[in-house]
Amino acid sequence: MRVRKLRGLALGAAALLLASMTACGADDPAAPGASGTDGVDDGAQLTLWTRAATESVSKAYAEAYNATHKNKVTVTSYPNEEYPAKLASAAGAKALPDLFGSDVVFAPQYASQGLWADITDKFAASGLKDKVSPGHVRAGTWEGKNYAVPHTVDMSVLLYNKDLYAKAGLDPEKGPKSLKEFAEHARAINKLGGDVHGTYFGGNCGGCVEFTFWPSVWGAGGNVLDTDGKNAKIDSKEMADVFAVYRALYEEGVAAPASKDEAGPTWLGALQSGKIGIAPGPSVWLGLIEEKGVKMGVAPISGPDGGDSTFIGGDSIGIGATSTKAAQAWDFLKWTMSEEAQVEVIAKNKGVPVRTDLASNKYSSADPRIVTINSLVAKGVTPYAKNFNASFNDPQSPWLQTVRGALFGDAAKALAEGNTAITKSLQQG
Amino acid sequence: MSPKASRSRSRARALTGAAYAAPTAVMVAVFFLAPLLLVGWMSLHKWPLLGAPTMNAPDNYTRIADNDLVGSAVWFTLRYTVVMTVLLFVVAFGLALLVQHRRPGVGFLRTSFLLPMAVGFASASLLFLGLLSDEIGPVSDLLRKLGIIEGYVSWTSGSSTSALSSTVALVLWRFAGFNMLIILTGLQAIPLEVYEAARIDGATRWQTFRRVTIPLMRPTIALVLTMMVTGSLLAFDQFWILTRGGPDNSTTSLVMLIYREAFIRLDLGSASAISVALLAVLIVFNVVQLGVLRRRG
Amino acid sequence: MNSSNAVSRWGFYVTGIALAILFLSPLLWSGWASLRTPSGFGLENYDRLFTSDNGIRLEHIVNSVTVSALTVGGTLLVSTLGGYAFGRFQFPGRDALFLLTLAILMVPYATILIALYVLLGWIGLQDSLVGLSLVLIMFQLPFSIFMMRNSFEAVPRELEESAQVDGCTTFTALLRIMLPAVKPGLVTVGLFAFLTSWSEFFAPLILLNSTDKFTTTLAVVNMRTASHGSIDYAALEAGVVFMAVPCLLLFAFMQRSYVRGFTSGALKG
Repeated sequence: MRVRKLRGLALGAAALLLASMTACGADDPAAPGASGTDGVDDGAQLTLWTRAATESVSKAYAEAYNATHKNKVTVTSYPNEEYPAKLASAAGAKALPDLFGSDVVFAPQYASQGLWADITDKFAASGLKDKVSPGHVRAGTWEGKNYAVPHTVDMSVLLYNKDLYAKAGLDPEKGPKSLKEFAEHARAINKLGGDVHGTYFGGNCGGCVEFTFWPSVWGAGGNVLDTDGKNAKIDSKEMADVFAVYRALYEEGVAAPASKDEAGPTWLGALQSGKIGIAPGPSVWLGLIEEKGVKMGVAPISGPDGGDSTFIGGDSIGIGATSTKAAQAWDFLKWTMSEEAQVEVIAKNKGVPVRTDLASNKYSSADPRIVTINSLVAKGVTPYAKNFNASFNDPQSPWLQTVRGALFGDAAKALAEGNTAITKSLQQG
Repeated sequence: MSPKASRSRSRARALTGAAYAAPTAVMVAVFFLAPLLLVGWMSLHKWPLLGAPTMNAPDNYTRIADNDLVGSAVWFTLRYTVVMTVLLFVVAFGLALLVQHRRPGVGFLRTSFLLPMAVGFASASLLFLGLLSDEIGPVSDLLRKLGIIEGYVSWTSGSSTSALSSTVALVLWRFAGFNMLIILTGLQAIPLEVYEAARIDGATRWQTFRRVTIPLMRPTIALVLTMMVTGSLLAFDQFWILTRGGPDNSTTSLVMLIYREAFIRLDLGSASAISVALLAVLIVFNVVQLGVLRRRG
Repeated sequence: MNSSNAVSRWGFYVTGIALAILFLSPLLWSGWASLRTPSGFGLENYDRLFTSDNGIRLEHIVNSVTVSALTVGGTLLVSTLGGYAFGRFQFPGRDALFLLTLAILMVPYATILIALYVLLGWIGLQDSLVGLSLVLIMFQLPFSIFMMRNSFEAVPRELEESAQVDGCTTFTALLRIMLPAVKPGLVTVGLFAFLTSWSEFFAPLILLNSTDKFTTTLAVVNMRTASHGSIDYAALEAGVVFMAVPCLLLFAFMQRSYVRGFTSGALKG
């Protein structure tokens, strides 16, 4: 009796498996929820997923929203490295949350995979589309449709230690105006000796290098990718020049030796130690470094002979394609882009607003460094490619191979071969 | 008892046996066989995360050869498997020989070697991450004081050799005791009289070990080796946490590649195809190994 | 005692102690590092572990205990019945099922998990501690079934036959006669199931969605990363120690019967 029952169960499971396979074929990837373009605030419980790096901002948004709305947003964060795996398996199981964020450079991939619901009409009707970071909007666009909106903005800037500047006889109020001047400052500080080093970078971290080196390439008038993100353009004089500056700094021992092996996890720690003179890094670290009692100055990243630029990073966010509460989720998204949220949640906490029209606000003028950072939004670039992660950020990416060669191996060969390998990766299915 | 009655009794007994095995069968069918079939089915399709899969067989398989990382990952995984299996086997066997006889202190030694097993593998990897780090780890400081190294060294990503060595050290530390235990049980199953007879025949220690211990240990050795080889070919956690496959892809294992295809490139069909290929290799390997060892034994 | 014996005894103790130090030092170091603070020694790192936003909360511990209990219980139940069947009965498909169970060891974990997640969705066990435990039980089966089959095989036939003469059914024979005889095997299987389920990381990461269902391991690994982060190594080591202590205690207490379970179980290939 028992045997038969259990066998029945096993058969049932097998049948279920087959049924679902056909079901997969018939399923439509989540039609957008309610037909209206306005948000709905009816007391829905919304789930929001984010990577650990963005958690604090997402939580600040959620708390402020929950305090004034009937809908309630709950934020769950996952370890940065495992977050893509978490999203992919949730999508595979059709169990995506109502809202989820992603690194802005990964957004084209999620948009192209249909992981976010189509918000083209809602976004257009909100009147916000032209007022928010254009790089983020582009990243959340696939085949002419919008899937994600800006969530946070994080830009690369030069961060320098004012005390070490003074000790080395440099003016703590004047950051470098060009990449070459940056190298001179780093060398001057390195002469202080002891355990102080001129600079630091993530030499074993594709994401860190693209974030901090590419602005110098852009500043010099060069490019890294074509506009569709299908062809690499790294085998250029501009790219070679930028790598040469950092390579020399490493070979002279001006860059701390740990730069070669820095894969990202201890990058911030190195700057917080107060033993590094000047280094490019994320603007959001300004507060985190000063928390440790290190006085910091901020300057734009520039090309070898000048020309400021920045990598506009941060996170995008969209409505999970399998969510049944799209209208409520949109209510939250629309609110996060409101003046109220951008000024009272983001700017108040020294963040960069995703709204370009709110770059100067009542909080930003209090700190000239924030003005410097916010003014860069207009000069910055957010690179766009569907296969960005696999081509540039992942530890096994061809870009990281290129970086290692360009900094520590045969530079010319690395750029030429890297260009081919990255292009191949960008064009992969 | 009549033959008929005995036959029906044995049939009843078979039914009872099957009933006891039923929970295992259900667990294996639902949580192993079904997903496995699904993986096989996926390997024949272009399988988006959401939306309709389309049959594209055998593209996912033919594309494996075109994947630049596959060659280096296969080569590394094989090298790692050989190095790891040999070292782990030698260390575990050595430890087992060291503690096989009861004498004062042996209990303490056995416990010391076994204790790392109690630390979960993810925790153990995190422990080593700290242990080998320049920030708080004592390893670099110690070696600097002894004059073996100079200046800053990154153990987990400084060079391919040091990254591999860090991983090997972690796995040895975590798993040597467990394998020692299995070998120990095999050693202790050899009757003392056999050794006695060898001694009377005037065999030296080495001769006894080679001619008596090793042949009698064959089934245990087969078990241990199979587990080590399979475990090494499927290695993932240690690389994921300690070396992240680096530096320069020098420690990128096959399962890391599968992970990358599935979760970074979001190509589930390709990830499934590599898994199926790896599974096939493992099955062939294990069948061959069991066959060889059976025939000899 | 002759001199060669004395030499070998010296050799034994010197090698043994050197190796013991090598094996114990990482554990001792992590304990030490978890207590070290900028100003000396204290519990600050543990304080951060339990009070920081991403740190361990009571519910995480409760979840971990629940998952471990379910996994240990389920593994013991399935593998006792299965081991009894494989070790003591003849039925069609027996060897095939046994080999299939062992084959679980050969499958790359990362790929099968997506399929498992999908599957748990169909049976309504997504984002559930029970679903996670079922998956963990499945991954425990190769080892447990192998152990229990060998343990049951090692029980003398006469013992079971005497029970049948007394008119016991196979089930009462299992409960009254066999279970006490395979106790060391049970301890080994249970301990193993606990060690794995308590510290498993990847399966809970993929299979659990809501924060209030997270296990301790997830919380500890979550602590590792911040924005392009800096690793809080000291709090991390505190997490490692916190995770390891229950395992170490259990291990120390049960070592004797555990080793005995191995001797009766793993012995036959």
